[in-house]
Amino acid sequence: MKILVCIKQVPDLESRFKPDAAGVWFSDTDLAFRMNEYDEYAVEQAVRLREQLGDSAELTVLSIGPDRVVEAVKKALAMGCDRAVHVQDTAVHLKDPWQIASIIAAYAGDQGFDLIFTGMQSQDRGSAQVGVSLAEQLGVACATTLVGFEYADGAITAKRELEGGIKGVVKLRTPVLVTCQLGLNTPRYPTLPNIMKAKRKEITAIPVAELLKEEARTTATSFHHPAKKGSGLILEGDVGDLVEKVIGILKEKTSVLR
Amino acid sequence: MNLELTEEQKLIQDTARTFAKAELEPVAAQLDQGGDRAPMLANLKKLAELGFMGLNVKEQYGGSEAGVIAFSVAITEIARACASTAVTLSVNNMVCEVIQAVGNEDQKHAYIPKICSGEFAAAGFGLTETGAGSDPSGMCTQAVKDGDEYVLNGSKIFITSAPYAGVFVVWAVTDKEASKGKGISCFLIEAGTPGLVIGKEEHKMGQHASATNELIFDNCRVPAGAMMGRLNDGFRIAVAELTGGRIGIGSLGLGVGLAAMDYATKYATERTQFGQRISSFQALQWMMADGYTELEAARLLLMNAAFRKESGKSFAKEASMAKLFATEAANCACYKAMQMLWGYGYTQDFPVERYTRDARITSIYEGTSEIQRLIISREILRNFA
Ligand SMILES: Cc1cc2nc3c(=O)[nH]c(=O)nc-3n(C[C@H](O)[C@H](O)[C@H](O)COP(=O)(O)OP(=O)(O)OC[C@H]3O[C@@H](n4cnc5c(N)ncnc54)[C@H](O)[C@@H]3O)c2cc1C
Repeated sequence: MKILVCIKQVPDLESRFKPDAAGVWFSDTDLAFRMNEYDEYAVEQAVRLREQLGDSAELTVLSIGPDRVVEAVKKALAMGCDRAVHVQDTAVHLKDPWQIASIIAAYAGDQGFDLIFTGMQSQDRGSAQVGVSLAEQLGVACATTLVGFEYADGAITAKRELEGGIKGVVKLRTPVLVTCQLGLNTPRYPTLPNIMKAKRKEITAIPVAELLKEEARTTATSFHHPAKKGSGLILEGDVGDLVEKVIGILKEKTSVLR
Repeated sequence: MNLELTEEQKLIQDTARTFAKAELEPVAAQLDQGGDRAPMLANLKKLAELGFMGLNVKEQYGGSEAGVIAFSVAITEIARACASTAVTLSVNNMVCEVIQAVGNEDQKHAYIPKICSGEFAAAGFGLTETGAGSDPSGMCTQAVKDGDEYVLNGSKIFITSAPYAGVFVVWAVTDKEASKGKGISCFLIEAGTPGLVIGKEEHKMGQHASATNELIFDNCRVPAGAMMGRLNDGFRIAVAELTGGRIGIGSLGLGVGLAAMDYATKYATERTQFGQRISSFQALQWMMADGYTELEAARLLLMNAAFRKESGKSFAKEASMAKLFATEAANCACYKAMQMLWGYGYTQDFPVERYTRDARITSIYEGTSEIQRLIISREILRNFA
């Protein structure tokens, strides 16, 4: 069985973000990067399946981005992935989810993956579209927002998180793509010996130009902090006058009173 | 020149940091209150399973082969959360390294894997005696050959982890007539060996979860094969191996100092007095500037010493400089941090009080600051002779 897990490297969300020079995304100077949290659950689930299946399975981890994403890739290798693909792209942040999915689809197209794991969404962009778009482009079935996963005899049983605390259980036959929600499992810490051994695992580098065929369908036009709210208005004086003033303001500035 | 950690070192640092935040920090204050140290022992076991007990130990003995820089950054991250856990880790790593450096193959295979895997909760380093602290060559514990055995008599003091250590590296006099430091040998003694008695535990100012005990040898018989390294070569071994341990203790100090400054700085940005955030007072800004500058210098000294050790260069002077500076910087940082919290810093409701007590010992054990200066100046003067 061939398994693929797709991971993204994202900035630590406790960072202080500022717009980049073009004003369309955040500047990555001085940011600390880590593996997208959702993807940690995806990697863990993929590694558990790999362990369940033993050597009859091969688990590939893929990430698109500049050289720094290799750190996240190595973490996935240390957690138990067998090999890695690094799609080299210094402008990954300017691509929309459709293009990202198309790059992965171009790589995965003729590889015959039986199962693809992705995170439900990324912590920085949060579109939740890459997984489903990839399934669409590959023409495989897809289940999203997994909080439970089992595999047996060529089929998966996926527990999905629905609205309002309700869960749904679906069965799908491979090939299939699933997107993983937080809490699906408990991601392991990579052990130190495995971190060191990951150095010896194969990382195939592919320039993004070889895989990118699609145009962007959406473009970010601006990245900025929310406008500062004006300071509050403090009214003082006689209660009767205050009521008059408040009614005036509500009529003028809102649609509450007409 | 490259001051960046490698990807592997960053991942190890990240693993240590995440583990420390999730598992060590929540129990550190409770462990400091004394009593049950089970949560620390449980965490040590998990840390062993992750590979933190043999960072600079070969894979064939169960180590992680991650190197000295990784060791330093890991200890710092762990000490940020819990100094007691960090010192246990540092000593365990040091014992693994001594055995790896001077043990024979049987000894290496018998003990290093057990320390690395966590089968032994800890390992002990038995050098100091009541009359032999800074000057261990003045030790009195004796090992007398009797047929195929050695019989040890005497006692050690201040032995970290003694009640739960599975094995001890112990130094004893094997030739009373030899000149200073020339008649000491090194032994590997398992816990539970008849005649090896764990004595009273010290009531310390800080690092409470880490036990510090007397170790008594009362006609303690060990096979001749328990000797590690050559007969009467023990003092040289002790001096050489303590050098590496100093990188560990310096890194530990750095972690405690950073924890204190981070806590105090965050506090200063939240607390208001005189109608403004106290972080807007220049007095506090200067404390932050000085505290963090010293800790950054400490970090660079530690990285330099670790880098030199890892590349096989001499590192005794650099390790002593790093230990001296980092542990003093840690103490200064704790002093400043408490000053920044004022009254609250002095209470046990805030962790700075614990950091202050935990940091104090770092400039004492594994060679006091004075002894570090002695080593540094000796190394310097050697080049002027
Ligand atoms: C919590 C704790 C854990 C410890 N763990 C261990 C352990 O696991 N294994 C172990 O073997 N030991 C351990 N020790 C012992 C520790 O390493 C010693 O306490 C330390 O080396 C200092 O020895 P001393 O206490 O006998 O002080 P002394 O050597 O008596 O020193 C007293 C003072 O004199 C100064 N001084 C001494 N000689 C000189 C000199 N030549 N020039 C200038 N100043 C000098 C010292 O700097 C110090 O200020 C531990 C100690 C503590 C408190």
